[in-house]
Amino acid sequence: MFKVGSLRKRQFIGGIAGVIIGFSVFYFLTLESAGEYVSIGPMNTGHQELSCVACHADARGNLMQQIQSNISYAVGSREEGVDFGTEDVTVDNCLQCHDRPNDRHPNYRFSEPRFKEAVKKIDARTCITCHSEHHEERVSVTSIDYCINCHQDLVVENDPLDISHKDLITKEEWFTCIQCHDFHGNHKYEVPTKLKDTIPMKVIQAYFAGGEDPFGTDKKYIGLSQSEWLEQLNNK
Amino acid sequence: MKNITKFLNIAYIIAIGSISLISCGGVPEENKASASTENVFSVAEVLEMVSKENDVTRTLYTKAIVGKGKTQGMKFDEDWRKDDVEAGPLPALFLRGVATSIKKSPVPLGLYLGSDFPVNAANKFVGKQAVLFEKIKEDQEPQFFYDEEQELHTAMFADVAGADACVTCHNNHKQSPKTDWKLGDVMGATTWQYPKDSLSYKETVAVLNSYAKGTVDIYMEYLDEIKAFEKSEKPVIGDKWPVEGNYLPTAEVFLDSVKKLSSYETMKHLVTMN
Repeated sequence: MFKVGSLRKRQFIGGIAGVIIGFSVFYFLTLESAGEYVSIGPMNTGHQELSCVACHADARGNLMQQIQSNISYAVGSREEGVDFGTEDVTVDNCLQCHDRPNDRHPNYRFSEPRFKEAVKKIDARTCITCHSEHHEERVSVTSIDYCINCHQDLVVENDPLDISHKDLITKEEWFTCIQCHDFHGNHKYEVPTKLKDTIPMKVIQAYFAGGEDPFGTDKKYIGLSQSEWLEQLNNK
Repeated sequence: MKNITKFLNIAYIIAIGSISLISCGGVPEENKASASTENVFSVAEVLEMVSKENDVTRTLYTKAIVGKGKTQGMKFDEDWRKDDVEAGPLPALFLRGVATSIKKSPVPLGLYLGSDFPVNAANKFVGKQAVLFEKIKEDQEPQFFYDEEQELHTAMFADVAGADACVTCHNNHKQSPKTDWKLGDVMGATTWQYPKDSLSYKETVAVLNSYAKGTVDIYMEYLDEIKAFEKSEKPVIGDKWPVEGNYLPTAEVFLDSVKKLSSYETMKHLVTMN
């Protein structure tokens, strides 16, 4: 019979152990309950209850098919590659829960050519520009001076503000509109008419970090919860 | 001998790996099916078709709903979605509602409205759109270009003041930068975008259907808004139009009228395939 050397025996046992450990790790990490270990960071405000699959849907095909398709794409025998593991998260994922008819700044509008320059400064075509996920906050954009990219020529007739918008713009005494105006327009909120009543920047920053909502809690539309979202998908 | 065995082992592993990879098949390519169907319309033709449908829809809404509705006491407001405002959407916002619905559909069509004297300064044309809009104002002919950055085929069509309501509302609006509009003026332009240079029959019909669905969606939103009216008198919704009294057509009746008015031109295009 064959004579098995001790080195080969150790290699064999090591190989088997490696396969078992590999499969166990793979199995554990793909469990729904292992989400917190796989996640790249804690969820943003309002998203804490979501499970991974709410945004990260399984990609089409099985693992082997995905490998084969991407190799084919790499060697040029296929027109397009495929997502590996899970599908890329796009603005459509966000809109499945957050789409509302009254959005003042819907993403799609910024696809128009006339916003080309503004989009170079702040890409409002996608939600993650301002709401990057897994940062345990509400708004992740670093500076809130983005309004000026489109509203630099603003003219307000019968201006209700005690110091007119025109004066503020001429004297360059404005930095953002957010201290008075809610970007998405989803709050039932009385806009202040006196400059002294505007929301202090510190409060805005705390709100962006996940703190109390200075525009109030009375909202016109509430984003869907995971169960509502699933129900909506089932009804389609 | 040892080297040959080693080589054969590696070859076996590669062969088994390759066979198992190939035998499972790849993920089917989504664009294969559509690529095999014949593209019969250029993107310019399709955008002209849908733009004509838009002209008819907007004119019908502006004249028969907004224009006649106002004479019956119905209100239309730019803030129509606000809770304390009991009104319907102005024609420009009606178009924006259609555009929003299209964007939610799987059809990759973009629709936008702009002007050189818009009520909202953020809707003012700049860059290439501003240059092409000057040409449109001269001859009212559509302008086509390929937006290289976005990789989208783009068309602009004149938006002409076709009803008194267009002129009076814009001339009287507090924020309007121009107050001497008159009937027949090119008040702005619609911009349409699509990613492909030619479309199959099926894709063309999908574009037209997504526009029609957008019309129904925004009109339904208006009818839903009416249901929530508390202070204003609610028009009767059925098969009658505001010209007959305090009535509004249902979404089906409205869409039927659009189809009757626009279908001949569109059908001519759809059946005349060379």
